[in-house]
Formats: sequence, structure tokens, C-alpha cells
Amino acid sequence: MLCDSCKKNDATIHIQEIINGQKKTIHLCGECAAKKSGDNPAMEIGGFNIAEMLYNLTEKLNIPGFQQALQQGGIAPAQEKPLVCPACNWTTEGLRNTGRLGCPECYNTFRDILEAALENMHRGKLHVGKKPGSDSSDESPRLMLELMNYQKELEELIQREEYEKAAKVRDMINELKKKIKK
Amino acid sequence: MDNKQKIDSLLKHKVSWLEDSGPDDDIAISSRIRLARNIKGTPFPIAASPDQLNNTRGAIQMAVEKSNCLGASALCFEMEKLSRWERELLLERRLVSSEFIARDGGAALIVKRNESAGIMINEEDHIRMQALSPGFQLDEVWKIISRIDASLEKHLPFAYDSKLGYLTSCPTNVGTGMRASVMLHLPGLVLSSQINAAIQGISKLGLAVRGIFGEGSDNQGNLFQVSNQSTLGESEQQIIERLGGVIKQLISHEKNARLTLIEKNQYFLLDHVGRSYGILRHAYVLSSEEALNSLSGIRIGVDMGMFSTVDLHTVNELFLTIHPAHLQKFAGKELSAEERDIFRASMVRDRLKKFKNT
Ligand SMILES: [Zn+2]
Ligand SMILES: [Zn+2]
Repeated sequence: MLCDSCKKNDATIHIQEIINGQKKTIHLCGECAAKKSGDNPAMEIGGFNIAEMLYNLTEKLNIPGFQQALQQGGIAPAQEKPLVCPACNWTTEGLRNTGRLGCPECYNTFRDILEAALENMHRGKLHVGKKPGSDSSDESPRLMLELMNYQKELEELIQREEYEKAAKVRDMINELKKKIKK
Repeated sequence: MDNKQKIDSLLKHKVSWLEDSGPDDDIAISSRIRLARNIKGTPFPIAASPDQLNNTRGAIQMAVEKSNCLGASALCFEMEKLSRWERELLLERRLVSSEFIARDGGAALIVKRNESAGIMINEEDHIRMQALSPGFQLDEVWKIISRIDASLEKHLPFAYDSKLGYLTSCPTNVGTGMRASVMLHLPGLVLSSQINAAIQGISKLGLAVRGIFGEGSDNQGNLFQVSNQSTLGESEQQIIERLGGVIKQLISHEKNARLTLIEKNQYFLLDHVGRSYGILRHAYVLSSEEALNSLSGIRIGVDMGMFSTVDLHTVNELFLTIHPAHLQKFAGKELSAEERDIFRASMVRDRLKKFKNT
């Protein structure tokens, strides 16, 4: 389906409006939708604020709202030097294309890009909600982390065909699993 | 238990959010809170290898079992073992998201037998847990989900940053990782053409409104879901309070709209309810859109005491079971679109036999 505004790109955003009980749908491409709400943040189509709708969609389809937020944050694609997350190899491009991060460490890797975008998306910059419990005496989460690390190691050993070492790691994994299940 | 037996068991069991009563349930159908959590030092599903997805799933399954946070009778569905229609059925029951059922290896759903709480493993985040209760009761739902979160946390190391809170794959969820929502039936506002203004007002407050059924923000059945957008910078309680305040106002607007319709436009309203009843009671071919809109019509009738057998829960249940995957489950075979419309009509006629129009 073509975009109602530019009639060139495929429409990816569908905004439903209801007037006097009649439904009507406006189909826009990501670009036009972002432009429309970017030109005039107060602009609304059929009662839906487009920027809101975009943020809303970021949940499901992602991208336009997030990209727009990135752009509003003053990050022009040209001047940006590509970053790679040391923990998971996620790149600036991956972030831009999907609107998603690759791992928890990515929040450090892409900190500068994220900062302004987060401010646009949310009502504040700092978390003030619930924290993980102070009940750190429990050793179960630590064991679980250990398990995940061994599993990662096992995967790598198998890839490198180091089967003897892999067998040892597999034993340790089984031991750990028993301990966790207890 | 195989998957078919597990699904049969879900269908047999009473669904709490549909069949129990809750505060303001004439207008508010259900309240839901979802929390996103991820495991420290582990790539999010989007960047994870198939092996990593399976390892994460195994760890989470173990933690859920050990913490017993969903009860001993919880059911686990591994997505790659489900057929397309079994996945659709879980979607229609609001236990999973449409993004989730498109996934394969490594994704799993663990759900409490009465469907009041569940955990999606490896959706966009490692963990998306939800609690769902009838009516408008976000505070109660928060208590339930918060308890599940706390018991999982005793077994899983969650990715958390002191400044940014819980770290999520999409930055729109970072912080509390919380999406709270209430499903509302708003025919009064739609019939009196006030829904547009209401939606406008709500989105100005930084909350999202969307239709429940149909694609995108389509509003078949006059069912709307209102939820928070921002997850960072406010505590869970603040978000719930802000959202709850708006829901309260919407409920009172809806009540006023219905009263005004009765006072000023009584025959219009009676006609609307009567025609809806007529269609559901006598149609032989019924599309899902027509069914949803007519169900909305008799739901107002029931709310206003226009039927002698008051049974909101039958209407609620039909809002769910008229969808394709459920119809096929009841029919015991795959149906073409035409066959579904015929089967749907016959099921609805049958279910509504006990309703009498007064
Ligand atoms: Zn366009
Ligand atoms: Zn990363």
C-alpha cells in the first residue's frame, strides 16, 4: 500500500480515526509520518498525536519514533562515528535499523546517542522506581550467572572442536544445575 | 501432558479475568501489568545465537520452577512445538504478543492455570511477565506482578543500572520496564461521538490508546486499551496513579455519555441494543467484525439491565471465543473463512439462547 502523503513509499504506519462513529484510516510511510510530526509537534491527525502514535509503535514495530528521537537528539547520521559494542558486537547501524540494543552493556557503548533520545521518550532521565532487592545473601542468582557463563564457554569450545575440555565444562554445568535445582 | 492436552486444560479452566467480577467491570473489562526483565551479561534475544536463546530459556524455566512463582499447576509451552493455530489461540487469550508467536526456537510461555499471570521467555526481552485481573484494579495487579518479580529475582541476576533502572532491548521500556494498561468498553463515548476528543485528551497526557481487536488501532467492539508510554523518570506507583486517574475520568465520562443517551436519545439506544441482539441471536453468517460490534451492543444492554438474565461474563467470553483459532478449536478442524463465519454464527446463537430481551 502506498503512502497517502508522498504516494511514493510503502505505507508502514496506519492511523485509525473515528469521526461520528465512522472509521477512516490514514496510511503513511515512516518518513512522512516523522516529517509531519517533526514539523509541528502539536499536529494531530484524527485525534491521535502522531509523535505519540510513533512512540506507541516503537513498542511493536519500532524504528520511526525511535529514529526520530535520535534525530531530535541532534545526532546527524553523517557526523556519527560507528560504534561497536565490545560485549555483543552490536553496531550503531543495528541500533538505527532496529531501534533495539544488543545487550545490557550496549547502554554504555551507545550512551551518548541514547542520552538525548531517552529524554525525548520518557518523562525523566533517571530511574526512580523499584530496585532489585537488597537480599543479596541469596546465592542462587550468582550460580545462575555462573551457569550461563559455562554454557557460553561450552558453545565456544564445541565450535573450536576442543571436545575434551568441552566434556569437562559439560560436567561442571550438570553439577551446577543440580546445585541450582536443590 | 502434550500441547493439545495443555491447551484443552486452559480451555476447561475458568479464566479469572473474564469470568470473575472486578471493580467497575461494567466498563473496565480487565487490568494488566507487564514487566520487562533481562539477564545480566547475556545478549538480548535480537542479538543472541540459537544456543544462547536455548540456554537463557533453560535458566529461566529453572528459576520459574524453583521459585514456584506461577504455582505448581503452571503450564509451559515451547513455541517451536506449537502449530500456527495453537499459537494464535494463545494470542487470542491475551497470553502472548503477536511479536512473540512469530518467534520459534528459544521462545516459551509459562502460564498460571487460571491465566491470571504468565511469563513470556525470549520475546523482545528475556522475560516479559504479566498479571491480568478483571475490572479496574491496577494496585492489586501491581501487588501480584511485583511478588512474581521478587521471587524470580531470588534466582536470576537481572540486568540493572542504578541510573537507568532495568535494562531492556528497546530503550522505550528502560527504567521500570513496566507497561500498565486497562481494557475499557466505551460504546457510550463512541455512540455520542465523544471518543475522538477523549482520545485526544489522553494522548496529550502522554498515555497511549489503542483498539483491542483488528489491525493497528482499529476499534472493533468499542474496546480500547489505555496504557502508559514512559517507563523512566517516574516510579511504578506514580505511573499507576497517573494512569489510574485518567482511567477514572474516562469511566465517569462513559457513564455520563450513557446516561445522556438514555435521557435524550432513548430510542436510538434501544434500537442499537435491539438490533445487536437480533443479529447475534438470528444471524447464520457472522463475520468477526460484525460479531464484535454486536457484542458491544448487547454488553451495554446487559450493563443497563435491559436483559432479564444479566450475564456480563457470557458476553466477555464471546469477545474472546469468536476469534478464528478458538472457533477452529471448538470445531475440531481447520475452517475456511466462510466456514468460520457460519460456525461463529451458530456458536453465538447457541450461547445466547438463555438471554431474554425485556
Ligand atoms: Zn510518504
Ligand atoms: Zn551490547
